[in-house]
Amino acid sequence: MNVLRAVLWKDLLIEWRSRERSVAMLVFALLVVVILYLAAPPADTPEARAALPGMLWVAYIFAAVLGLNRAFALELDEDALTGLALAPADRGFIFLGKTLASFVLLLGVQAVTALAFGLAFGVNFAPVALPFAGVAALGALGICVVGTFCSAMAIRTRYREAMLPLLMLPLLLPILLGAVRATDALLNGEALPGLALQLLLVSDGVFTIVCYLGFDAVLDE
Amino acid sequence: MLNVFDATSPIARAPAARLTSVLCIGLFPAWAFAVFNAPIDSFQGVIQKILYIHPPLAFGAYLGFICTALFGALYLWKREPRFDHWALSAAEVGVLLCTLMLLTGPIWGKGTWGRWWTWDLRLTLTLLLYFVYVSYLLLRAFSEGSERAARFAALYGILGLVVVPLNRFAIELSGGRALHPANLNPGDDQLGAGMTSPFVLGVLLVFACFAWLLVRRYELCRLREAVLLQEAESEREDAWAT
Amino acid sequence: MSSADNARASQAATPALSLRARGISRRFGARVALHPLDMELSAGGALAVLGPNGAGKSTLLRLLAGLMRPTSGVIEIGDGGGLNRVARRAAIGLVGHESFNYRALTLRENLELAARLHGLADVRARAGQSLAKLGLAGFAERRVADLSHGLQRRLAIARALLHEPRLLLLDEPTSGLDPRAAARLGEHLRERATTTGAACVLVTHDLNFAAALSQQALVLVRGHACALPEAALADAATLAQACSAAVARLEAAA
Repeated sequence: MNVLRAVLWKDLLIEWRSRERSVAMLVFALLVVVILYLAAPPADTPEARAALPGMLWVAYIFAAVLGLNRAFALELDEDALTGLALAPADRGFIFLGKTLASFVLLLGVQAVTALAFGLAFGVNFAPVALPFAGVAALGALGICVVGTFCSAMAIRTRYREAMLPLLMLPLLLPILLGAVRATDALLNGEALPGLALQLLLVSDGVFTIVCYLGFDAVLDE
Repeated sequence: MLNVFDATSPIARAPAARLTSVLCIGLFPAWAFAVFNAPIDSFQGVIQKILYIHPPLAFGAYLGFICTALFGALYLWKREPRFDHWALSAAEVGVLLCTLMLLTGPIWGKGTWGRWWTWDLRLTLTLLLYFVYVSYLLLRAFSEGSERAARFAALYGILGLVVVPLNRFAIELSGGRALHPANLNPGDDQLGAGMTSPFVLGVLLVFACFAWLLVRRYELCRLREAVLLQEAESEREDAWAT
Repeated sequence: MSSADNARASQAATPALSLRARGISRRFGARVALHPLDMELSAGGALAVLGPNGAGKSTLLRLLAGLMRPTSGVIEIGDGGGLNRVARRAAIGLVGHESFNYRALTLRENLELAARLHGLADVRARAGQSLAKLGLAGFAERRVADLSHGLQRRLAIARALLHEPRLLLLDEPTSGLDPRAAARLGEHLRERATTTGAACVLVTHDLNFAAALSQQALVLVRGHACALPEAALADAATLAQACSAAVARLEAAA
């Protein structure tokens, strides 16, 4: 737990100093929203509305890939990752600390992006703000868990940043599908679908446990 | 250069490779004969005969992915390169069989359903699994240092299998209609008269091919390592000579 | 958390620590970085590892630090079967090639992070003490990115000493240090050895430093090791002679 808190504090402090990651993620997500708007202007047909949740989550996942890549790039300067690996504790806590730091950043980016998305496509998130925040958080957690784990490996391959989406996207289907279904229901004024929430919760849980257990082997040369 | 199909190569001379190649050569004509003689399906027509190769390819592909994850786990536990060699071999053979399966499936689909592809539960699941293990091979190709590549790939191969039940849940949720014919269980009377033996022979043939390719690929890994060892050895000697 | 606490508890109970390695080797694929070697170091002792570049010295340190698994052999740190992996990490301090510090953070923040990672109490005071010990107190609030190479090096040493490790693993600790700072580091290490019984493995090209500090020496050439007699460590000139003789012998043998 010490290690988790220390790593989280360190990542957020570094981010607070430079604001590199959050700004890059946010600008990128907003760009995606603008491009989606230009490519598929909002139309008031059921088909067009049905595509909106998927589009929103595409913007989220693009922003997440950008931010998650930086999460471990900064650990390679001065071999800081070795400094973390020397901590006398279960190395899974390093993983959880890094995951939570990315999670916090992604949550912020999601909130602003949702606002912009709502304005552009005429979606009103206000009546469902709280349940939507919950769904966004569950989705973001899963993305950050899988992304942090894959980023720790991808960054030490020859393709570095380019490798991360190849690794994480094939694994993220359950998270994205669950999140998109739940968002869809909320925007249609329906109750939260229990099955989609279950899928999100179970996937988050399974990925967190497996990645937590596996992280020691990522660092164990 | 080594030619994998050269019967005199050291890879082919490994006893296991010989045994499995004999099995393949023996099973192929029997299977072809049985398929040729099998009755033509009254409803689907001749295209139904894809049944004698498509599901067996699927079984082989799944077996390959399961072996990849299992050998990956063994590698992480024991850290012996041979487990990694088995895992890599199984992944490559699995991806090969899966490619063939994804090619034969649409031919049948076009003939029977009238379209090449549908987002059916089993199709989607298999496609995702295919992507995971293609990424697995990419990860290996781009990782530096055989030890690191082995470790990362083992972890990723395990994650790839863990995600299968989650994907299943997800696709069912999204209303993936089960268009794909159900599993064939022995004992069920789903196969018409005269269709069982070519099907069983098909499964045996694919499994024999799987074993043959796996063994030869594994031998290739071993030989490659031996060559690298020799090169490293002679480099050392050169370095000392100067 | 509890594992780190346990580690600290056992540290308090047994301050001194010995190291024993039997037949440890490491390969990277086909390349052999380190051929099987034995080494032994008792509490309070210091062992110098000498040899040309690419000899496997840093690999040896990473193996001892538990950052890498040996391909064969066992490393025991502590008596009676040795410490487990986590406790071993609590007991060692490593100065590596690179500083392990974050350039965007200040010196104090970097040390506070290290203290938190080690689960130490009173993080701020520990960081302050450690900075003062290496003459860095005046730079505490400066960012690492603004420091000279030599000062960054000192910060790396401060970080390694922060949790009072019982076994120090130093990779070229004097590179980038001015002679006075190097001399002070030497004094500090000797003092720690006598008061707390901390042992030290020292990889270095600085023969003065090695001769002044260590009681044992190991020469590594292309992964092959050979121990030097204790007499070779009398002074830097003797050590230089013994070392080059050992290098020549190892090269001839291989």
